Order: sequence, then structure tokens, then C-alpha cells
Amino acid sequence: MTAIRTENLSKTYGHGWNRDATPAVRMLNLEVKEGEIFGFLGPNGAGKTTTIHLLLNLIRPTSGAAYLFDRPVAETEVHRRLGYLPESISLHDYYRGKGLLDFYAALCGVSPDVRPARVAELLKLLNLEDAAGKVVSKYSKGMVQRIGFAQAMLHDPDLLILDEPTASLDPVGRKEFRDILLELKRRGKTVFISSHILSEVESVCDRVAILQNGELKRVGTLQELSAGRSTRFMVKSLPAPLMDALATIAVQVTLVQGQATISCPDEALRQTVEQLLRQHGVEIVRTETETQSLEEIFFATITAPPRL
Amino acid sequence: MKTIFLIATDSIRALLHQRLLLGLMLASLALTIFFSITMSSARKNITKSFTDDQMATNSFMGTNQMSEVDRRKFRESMENASTTIQAMFYQVASFGGSIVALFIFSTAVASEIRKGTIRLTLSKPVSRTQFLLGKYLGGVVVMAAFALLASLAILLFAQTQNLELSPVIKWAPWLMFCRQLMLGSLAMLLSLFMHPIIASVLAFVAGNGFYSPPNPLYFVLPSYKDFNVFFQVLQGSLLNLKDVACLSLYAADFVAIMLLFALWRFRTKELV
Repeated sequence: MTAIRTENLSKTYGHGWNRDATPAVRMLNLEVKEGEIFGFLGPNGAGKTTTIHLLLNLIRPTSGAAYLFDRPVAETEVHRRLGYLPESISLHDYYRGKGLLDFYAALCGVSPDVRPARVAELLKLLNLEDAAGKVVSKYSKGMVQRIGFAQAMLHDPDLLILDEPTASLDPVGRKEFRDILLELKRRGKTVFISSHILSEVESVCDRVAILQNGELKRVGTLQELSAGRSTRFMVKSLPAPLMDALATIAVQVTLVQGQATISCPDEALRQTVEQLLRQHGVEIVRTETETQSLEEIFFATITAPPRL
Repeated sequence: MKTIFLIATDSIRALLHQRLLLGLMLASLALTIFFSITMSSARKNITKSFTDDQMATNSFMGTNQMSEVDRRKFRESMENASTTIQAMFYQVASFGGSIVALFIFSTAVASEIRKGTIRLTLSKPVSRTQFLLGKYLGGVVVMAAFALLASLAILLFAQTQNLELSPVIKWAPWLMFCRQLMLGSLAMLLSLFMHPIIASVLAFVAGNGFYSPPNPLYFVLPSYKDFNVFFQVLQGSLLNLKDVACLSLYAADFVAIMLLFALWRFRTKELV
């Protein structure tokens, strides 16, 4: 079973009579398996938050469909298995911390017998015990983020959707948050994180997806995304016809002490170059494959020219 | 049903934390009392002027008694003053209540969308229908409390001022409450299409159209004229139980229609 599935999901704001229609998400096909931590990346305006709003049924898709645990997102019952932390969180700030969690727990259907213990447990886990009796409107940004995270976990959901969860947290808070995520993963929970903090995503996520201009550019594990991404072929000689052929494709050729290095930034070019070298009977002395950090993968993806 | 009550309770809590609303409620009650006190002092002046006239007449005539004509005149003046006080009390309370109702219902859902708190609530197992009905119910409870306060205030006022309550005035709080629920349901519906302030103004203006059956607008736009007992109190006309029941049914029917429209709109509305 998949925790999240989208089928050709598209959202255009201001469609219909509006001439300034803006496509926010285009034909998104995504699958998040149960039990994995999935990173959802993309520059500002890529369509990450719109996708999350579509998954929560806060907005309607222009076309396509979205499913949570194989049930349409419009079904309210499926939200019993869902916890959500929005990007810029707004809480009912007239409650005290404890009261707020109690209210959300009641909405989630947590039994009144269990509620006080569950609320206390989460307040302790997120270091909010001292602020439990304080009015939420007096909370600092970090405290709001923490209590927001607590409300998302109140009913021990199977799926957590977190939109920029650590934006307001200090380094200590981020470390605690990472530990909680890893604990959730150990317990078989699914976590869907949209974040700008690439190092954080890299350290906890099993798979990532990169979105740009509403389109899914890449998806896979870090190994899949970085494997063979940047390859360098070291060769002893480069015949002139091969040089001409290489000049027509976007590869970098460096000549140092009679040895040539051909750098291929992606898998498609690597295959093309390898084929050309074979065709011209050039012996490959050494092949170096560079593993990329998530940051490198991310920037390579979002700055890559569109393929025609 | 439990979820609707939870949303309603939260809505009441939110309303009680709104200083503007509390200010509006207190201001309308204060204004009501102010008008009543003014009218009451006018009533005292009538009594005083009659007493002075009578004393002047008596000293001139050398008698110590009020003539039958004077006594009738005096009674009529007192009754007029009494009904005017009650009518004014009702009118001011009703107007203040309408402003409070417009504020409550037009911002109930709109403010949650504006602040973004609705996103968290609807990420829980709460349907949009439950959310909207909960918000409406919360408003109904606050308006009921307001109507109850207004009733208690007039009772207390009548008791302290030795006023005899008009037979019509006893229905006034209930009819005022019905009228405010109608106004609220229309304001809530309109606020799903436009800014709450514009929605409130439109709901108020639309509701003051004097439609009567068979005008089809009567069934889709509220007509408050029958809910306003101001003139009935002044004229001393009667309002029987059947009339009140018919008006209550009309209000219930109108509120149900408006809520159905609001639900239809809310279920398709983009909540970001």
C-alpha cells in the first residue's frame, strides 16, 4: 500500500475566464511508500505547498487525483491517519498550550481517558512542559513550531506531512526534531517533508523528489540520484574526429600532460561519450564516478536547461 | 455531532476572546440602558409636570382632588411613556444585536481562512460540513446569550421602574433572536464569496427589504419587518402564539436554505 499517491495531479490558479492562469503543479505522478521518510524539495514557487494543500483537500485539483492510503483525499476518515504541520503555522492562540493540544486531540478522536497522558507525553518530548500553562499567543516562534509539531503527532498518525518543519527552530531544536523523525521511521511511520534545508533532508530521508515550476524533475534515493551523475573518463589520446564529435555535445574536455579527461555531468551524456569512445576505438584508462551531495543534485537539477 | 459541538465550543471561546465583539456587546447593552434611562426620566418629568399642574389647579380652585379627565390624561400619558420606553429598549437592543450578529457570523469562517487556522482544523478528521455547522452553532449560542441578557435587562429595568410590560414585548427577545439568526446565516453565506464587511452590509440591506408573500424574494431574502415589534408595542396591538410560531418557522426555513447554500459554496471553496 502507498501512503501517498498522485495521478497526473495538476493545479492551475485562476483558470477559466482568467487570462493570467498560473500552473502551480503540472501532471504530478508521485508515490510515497508506507514507512519511508520522503523529502519534497524545490525552489520557492516550485509547487511544494500547493501539492501539500492538494493532498489535504484544502484546494481542488484542476485535473488528476490524489490518494492517501489508497483512498481519495476528499474522504474525511482518511485524515484519522494523518498529521500535518503547515509552513507558516497559525494556531488558535487564545488557548493555553495544554488546552490547545487537548482540543486538537479531541478533534482527532483521542479518547478522553488517554488524552491527558498523551498531551503530557508530547509536551515533555518537545520540551514544552514549562509552557503548558502559558497562553499560545505569548509563545516564541520556536515554541509555536514545537507545539505545531506536537499537534501533528497527537493521535500517533501513520503519515506525517510536514511543510518546512524546522524553519523556526534553533540548531538544538533541529537535532531533536531529526531524532524524533528517525524514531518515527523506526516505528514504521511515513513522513513527507517539504524543506529548504537540504542537509537536514539528506540526513533523514530515504527518498527525495525535486520539483521545479510545478513539474517533478527527479525522484529516487540519494544513491539513485547521484549514481553515475558526474562521470570522468581518462583517456590517453583523442583523435581529431572524436574531438569534433565531443565538441558538439556539452562535455568538458581537459588535456593535462598528454592525458585527456572528459567530464560528463549526467547519465545521458555519459552513455553518449562512452559510445563515442568505443566507436573511435579509444582506450579508457580510468573511469571516475563522483557521488554528489543532495545540494549538488538539487542545484544540478534546478539549473539544468530544459530538455527539448 | 460531537465534532460539531467541539467546533462550536471552540468558536464560542474564540468569540469571547475578541475584544471588538465584547466591546460591541457591551456598547449595545450600555446604549440600550442609556435610552431606557433617558425615557424613564422623561416619564418622571411627565409625572412631575402633572403633579405641578394639579397642585397649581388645586390651589387656584381651593380643592385637593384630581378631576376624572385629568386622571385619564395622566394615565394615558404614563402608558404612552411606558410603551415608548419598552419600544425604544427593544429597538436599540435589536439594532445592537444585529450588529453583533453580523460581526459574529460574517467573520466566523472568513477569519479562520484569513488566519490559516482552518488548515490545521481541516487536517483533522473534520468535514467541511461539520466545520461550518459548528461555526454557526457557536454563533447561535452567543446570540442566545445576548438575547437572554437583553430579556433579563428589560425585566430588571421594568421591575425597578415600576413599568407594566406590554403583552407584545415578551415575544420581542425571541423574535429578535430569530431575526439575528436569519441575518447571521445570510452574512455567513455572503462572507464565503466576499469580504466580511461587504457581506455584513449586504446582509443588513437585503434583510430590510419589505417583501411579503407571494413575492418570491420573501423566501430567498430575509424580510425582517414582521420580526420588528417596535410599532406593535407602540400601538399596543397583540401578537398571538400562532403569529410567533409562523414567524419562527419562516426564520427556521430561511436559515436552513441559507445554510444549504453556504455548505454548497464552502465545500467547493479553496481554503488557502
